[in-house]
Amino acid sequence: MHDALTLDARANHWLALALGLACIGTACIGYAIGDTFYLRLATEALIFGGLALAVDILLGYTGLLSLGQALYFGLGAYVSAVTLIAFPSFWTAMGAALATGLFGGLIGGLIANRVRGVYFALITFGMAQVAAKAIYNTRSLGASDGLIGVPVLDVNLGIVTVSTASPVGFFLLALGVVTLLYALCSYLMDTPFGRLLIAIRTNEARVPFLGFRTTTLRLGSFVLASCVASLSGALYPMLRGFVSPELLFFSTSGNAVITVILGGVGTLVGALYGSIIFTIVKSVIGSWTEHHLIVIGILFMAVVIFLPKGLMGLAQPLMRRMVHRGKP
Amino acid sequence: MIEAVLAVEDLSISFGGLHAVDAVTFTAERNRITTVIGPNGAGKSTLFNLISGALTPVRGHVRLDGIDVTGAPPNRMLSAGLARSFQITSLFFGLTVAENLRLAAQRLEPNLRLWLPTGRSRRARERVRSLLDQFGLADKAQYPAGALSHGEQRRLEIAVALAAEPKVLLLDEPTQGMSHGDTELTATYVRKLAQSVTVLLIEHDIGLVMNLSDKVVVMNQGRKIAEGPPAVVRADPAVQSAYFGHA
Amino acid sequence: MLEYIQFVLAPQVVTGLALGVAVILVALGLTIIFGLLDVINMSHGEFYAMGAFIALALGQVGLPFWALLIAVPLLMLPIGYVVERGLIQRVFNSPDRHVTTLLLTFGFGLVLEDGLRLIFGPNPHRPETPIPGAIEILGTYLPLYRLFMVGFGGLLILATALIVYRTRLGAMVRAAAFDRNMAASLGVPVEKVYAGAFAFGVALAGIAGVLLAPIYSVFPTMGRDFILLAFTVIIVGGMGSIGGATIAGLFLTQVQAISSLYISPVWADPIVFAIMVIMLVVRPRGLKGRLGHA
Repeated sequence: MHDALTLDARANHWLALALGLACIGTACIGYAIGDTFYLRLATEALIFGGLALAVDILLGYTGLLSLGQALYFGLGAYVSAVTLIAFPSFWTAMGAALATGLFGGLIGGLIANRVRGVYFALITFGMAQVAAKAIYNTRSLGASDGLIGVPVLDVNLGIVTVSTASPVGFFLLALGVVTLLYALCSYLMDTPFGRLLIAIRTNEARVPFLGFRTTTLRLGSFVLASCVASLSGALYPMLRGFVSPELLFFSTSGNAVITVILGGVGTLVGALYGSIIFTIVKSVIGSWTEHHLIVIGILFMAVVIFLPKGLMGLAQPLMRRMVHRGKP
Repeated sequence: MIEAVLAVEDLSISFGGLHAVDAVTFTAERNRITTVIGPNGAGKSTLFNLISGALTPVRGHVRLDGIDVTGAPPNRMLSAGLARSFQITSLFFGLTVAENLRLAAQRLEPNLRLWLPTGRSRRARERVRSLLDQFGLADKAQYPAGALSHGEQRRLEIAVALAAEPKVLLLDEPTQGMSHGDTELTATYVRKLAQSVTVLLIEHDIGLVMNLSDKVVVMNQGRKIAEGPPAVVRADPAVQSAYFGHA
Repeated sequence: MLEYIQFVLAPQVVTGLALGVAVILVALGLTIIFGLLDVINMSHGEFYAMGAFIALALGQVGLPFWALLIAVPLLMLPIGYVVERGLIQRVFNSPDRHVTTLLLTFGFGLVLEDGLRLIFGPNPHRPETPIPGAIEILGTYLPLYRLFMVGFGGLLILATALIVYRTRLGAMVRAAAFDRNMAASLGVPVEKVYAGAFAFGVALAGIAGVLLAPIYSVFPTMGRDFILLAFTVIIVGGMGSIGGATIAGLFLTQVQAISSLYISPVWADPIVFAIMVIMLVVRPRGLKGRLGHA
């Protein structure tokens, strides 16, 4: 009845569910012991997990390595911050970030999709770098200091109202947003649209002969990824109360790529696991030494060489067996 | 009179002064097998690239059922009812056989279905099942295409081209690199295909060409030098000298 | 008008040229590595920083500047060779070599950068200008060191082109770039050639680091900003082309230098980048084709 790709996606849903439950468990424990620091850190991990989802859409499905996805993450964060300072409403900020992702993604996609392979990687890298420099030097956006003074919000969700100042509340809200983004991405990747992206990654030259325009498909993938990154970024100023040009820097884009490779490329859920593990590794090593980059760099190289499918490459065969059981 | 589905008129392209395809004109009739033959470098594959939209001609026309489709990109050619296979197998090797076919059959569905779960594309799924049976690949449906034998991959290559139910099917050397047995099998498939689709073929195996084709188009150095039923073409002196050795 | 040229334009052009030759040296390394190995070396900027830091360290123990220009590349050659054999060769046959090697060198760049920070600390160092003073040419005062950079860098670029295009070694490199298997069957030790070319490329980046250290400061992340310019140069010049990288490097650094006279230097980078985008749109293969194919 279902094909292999759909079943793989289902296997990933179980892993995502496990992650979601673990998050809710963390929230309960955090609430019980009145923790702030770790819940904030976990929220940040989720937000950067959203950015990693965007990288995975491009790399893991469409086969395009973006070295500048932080561009959209950062733009979303700045637009959200500016909106919130002027008009403190969660929904307005998210709407503005979505519009930014759509519009910016169209423009960036039209430029970057002219080329493929390493050129795509370099041009996305360049676009992000130029935008980062522009913001870094724009005084009205706070230049190198960034924008501070993003107000605390009360987010009205209909049934409950969540304050962004509440560690547990905002953690759960971020979990909700990232879950929705994950659900949207994994839904789309299991539609014929998503399958065509996989087809492009596998053998782009043949796709036009199946009756589809590859430029349109790749643009669709790029815009989807920019929207996901932008919406994730929009949460950042709500968490930290400020935005800074570092959000657009190469280190942010690079970390997202590391996250995806670590978690397992082309699985979506791997991006989320990767982000959480990356955040844990960074903060654990960071408590011993300032030089966490050395460790992360070595860990990353080891994964690239020895574990090219990432952590999900280890978990997936088990999950697959579980899901396929009883189905021919 | 049998109606011509595909009409190629005065089709030409040159690469840096070399006339790769030079003023080629011919027709392919409905549900018949038309074969293009010619020595290496005669321009057969370039001709296919021009007809299928992979290359844009500098001169001439391609008409499908009377509609001018000259210079349309491959995706529009497919929508217009023209599909092709490749001489060098071009599949989605990491994906399963069934998924290769499903991707290829997706054009049978309305565009809206692109955004609905894959399982909802019923028509495409049914098409996949019938193709799997038709090409004897049913028990390999869940194998990655890359794990098939060469003969099976060549068969899948045809099946993928056929999946969107084209009116005209261009097959570029479907028996390339095949054993004798596989070649015979492929010939059977192609003959069966021609009951419902117009086939344009490039083929090197002359024996196969002569007993499979309804019409043969002979090319040499970018030009068409003969066109007609196999027996007539075989006797043509120009063909004799250009193709069957400079006798 | 004359005064404007003497005091504003001419010095700016020379500054642009000095930066230009350094960028070209870095870009040559990148483009040779890409042209031959099909590898985008994301750690190239860190090798450039490494060259500057080795020069800094050796300078502090008393080595004169002239000796640094020889010692630094000599030290970096074996480092580059080992990195290529030990890391890049490992994933050379993976299905997506472009992405895999790019990621691997990116990870290595992180390690290098943080390693430099660990050894030398995060703060910038500013070595003394090895050739102080200026010279007056047609009423324009030009710093001697920048003129030296232009001359020395120019010679190095020429020497690189000669090695690649006129020597037996270069012929082997080009053969290996054109067709790996064919070269191997003709007795070219392909793997050693690859490692050697990589080592040569990073040594060039190291020399650029030595040359630029007295002008810009030396700090661990110095490679990051610089590498974007080098990538732009090789994209505009045509990936894998030495001539293209040289022309593009001179052109783009002049655009940057001269445009920053008229507009805020902040916008000079976007202009250079815009040129790259236009180039990619109009002519994706760049000015010239790649090594071994042209």
